[in-house]
Amino acid sequence: MFDFFKKSQGLLGMNARNLDYIRPSNRKRGMEIADSKLLCKHLLKKNGLSVPELIAKIKSHEDLEQFDFATLPNSFALKPNRGFGGEGIIIVYGRKKPARNAAPENSTENPLQKSITNNYQGNAQAGALDREAGEWIKADGSVITVDDLKSHIRNILDGSFSLSNIPDIAFFEERLKLLKLFKPYTYKGIPDIRVIVYNRVPVMAMLRLPTKHSDGKANLQQGAIGVGIDLATGTTTTAILGKGHIIEYVPGTRMVLSGIKIPYWKDILRMAIDAQAISHLGFLGADIAIDRERGPVVLELNARPGLSIQLANFSGLKGRLNRVKGLKIKTTDRGIRVGMNLFGGEIEEEIEELSGKRVIGTVEKVKLIGKDGKEIEVEAKIDTGAFSTSIDTDLAKELGFEDVINYFNSLELPKNFSREEAGSIEASLRKKYIGAHPDLADIVIIYSSHGMSMRPKVKISAMLDQVELSLLANIIERDELSKKVIVGRKNLGRFLIDVNKVSTAYAKNV
Amino acid sequence: MQYHPLIAFFVEQGVPVQTVLLLLMLPVIATLVAFFRQVIGIKAFGIYTPSIITFALLAFDPNGVKYGIAIFVSVIVVGMLARFVLKRFRLLYLPRVAITLSIISLAILIILVIGGMYQRTGLAAVSIFPLLIMITLAEKFVATQIEKGSRAAFILAVETLIISVIGYFLVSWHALTALILHFPWIILFTFLINFSLGKWTGLRVTEYFRFRKITRYL
Repeated sequence: MFDFFKKSQGLLGMNARNLDYIRPSNRKRGMEIADSKLLCKHLLKKNGLSVPELIAKIKSHEDLEQFDFATLPNSFALKPNRGFGGEGIIIVYGRKKPARNAAPENSTENPLQKSITNNYQGNAQAGALDREAGEWIKADGSVITVDDLKSHIRNILDGSFSLSNIPDIAFFEERLKLLKLFKPYTYKGIPDIRVIVYNRVPVMAMLRLPTKHSDGKANLQQGAIGVGIDLATGTTTTAILGKGHIIEYVPGTRMVLSGIKIPYWKDILRMAIDAQAISHLGFLGADIAIDRERGPVVLELNARPGLSIQLANFSGLKGRLNRVKGLKIKTTDRGIRVGMNLFGGEIEEEIEELSGKRVIGTVEKVKLIGKDGKEIEVEAKIDTGAFSTSIDTDLAKELGFEDVINYFNSLELPKNFSREEAGSIEASLRKKYIGAHPDLADIVIIYSSHGMSMRPKVKISAMLDQVELSLLANIIERDELSKKVIVGRKNLGRFLIDVNKVSTAYAKNV
Repeated sequence: MQYHPLIAFFVEQGVPVQTVLLLLMLPVIATLVAFFRQVIGIKAFGIYTPSIITFALLAFDPNGVKYGIAIFVSVIVVGMLARFVLKRFRLLYLPRVAITLSIISLAILIILVIGGMYQRTGLAAVSIFPLLIMITLAEKFVATQIEKGSRAAFILAVETLIISVIGYFLVSWHALTALILHFPWIILFTFLINFSLGKWTGLRVTEYFRFRKITRYL
């Protein structure tokens, strides 16, 4: 019991956050910047940080009446300037195409679209067509009309989404495009990275993934996933769902949440620290998203960052903040270094330095590079009980080895021989067929718990924990198995395997 | 009961003792609300709503808790139903709250009439002001529903009710009222308590609960 309270000392609570960090560090001007998304966007952009582009803003009911919705692009995000907690944001994915049978005389859709939008303003007949012109598709596939948008904007203007209902401004901004890496982990919406910066040092970070439950919003209060990040490497560690349910996989899938390497990691930390300097917020939560084309962009700044980040990281903020307090950090680079050194996975790095080998877990992500350069990332079982590496037939087909698999299947292979004969049969098969097909690198007879099988082997390159491997992989049906790839001893010479690595939290929990 | 000379002086000047007592009790209730927020972590709708509901409960006496909770729950339930019904019309904020308030006051009126029909006139006999206070609670409730969602608003309403009921028992606790009438200066202690609460940086009880799953990894 006493131990429990002692351990909790490292946690940052609401009281301490408000009194010890927000009050002394965040001055009024900084708060204003954080509370107004438009001001924040303007200032950050002026200082050279990338932000989502502003499309238009609507300051009053008058502006709304005059606003031409036809000028909106096909996809955009509508936000309240002073909204908080992700409330009041509408994200539109595309313009709804007019139904074909509704307008059979129009062979193409675009001219129709155009004529409607031209008619849109004021024209009497436009009223009837109005509905079709101004229909967009939302994240969940539902349709949103101009009337819906107007009503939503009126609510924003009246302050329905701002703190204490003060009248607000609505604005449209560009919709960010989802990074491929995050696609399998995300339900609609865009994940973002929350970085807490104090005294020019990044102290903690988490990746927030929208879920079905959070309605595509990257907000933990609404049920998004929060994944802790190792500051030194930008690799994800532990994860929680919503307000504090510990998870290991994306719910409903087999996607492991740990071990995701976040791209542009140093840039993200740099942007967060720069944003602190620009906003003068001593204690800042910067939300940074990664756009597929533009790279990292600052979404917004928070003067009162939430405390759930501690849950996602299984770590207390107070302890970390105390270590950073009073340090004199002169440059952004120094801030990044200090944060990485203080709050990164030192142990693993040390082992890697001593042994010159990479430390990996029993399940790791492997990027396979197929015949025509096609890259597929999958989870592989790291199996020291297997000698060689195997991959699943379907996966091999996807990687461009369909031809060689078909060729191999068409071969007449001997059956019903004893184990003693296997060696000579293998040798004769090799003599006969290797070189017969350009991709067929070898043929092996493998005895496993499932019995005997003959498998073709192919050459394939792969990336495992940033190490490039040249694999000689045998191809086999692994349909019923959860991992489509096994990496065997033969290819693991440059690694050390830590059985606890992937699921430290989970294993302890069970 | 023996009053402190100061209280006796107030009463002599024509201030009803009940009024004196309630005014002296307000700091106690406010402190209670602050304590619940900072140390326990129960939020409620700010400090005004739980305090005023506490006094509304007192005004419902002698059956304060019974009637008070009944009215409170009716307001919240009708408020939630009204939101459910009004949602599809997409109205602006104030007209929507106005309609909600109207629906709630009609509902309360019906409840009073039904109570009367079953010879339960105790409720109808109470003063109108505590009833109005309860009804206007709906605005706070609707605003919270819009800002934070129905679930959060419901939780905050329950928290408000809990604090108000505790406040009610505190204020109607005879030992405490006697103490305050006898030693009115002790309410100055609330300043001290609030000062320490204002400087309190420890974890709240609810935060220990919130972080319980990760404390073992720290």
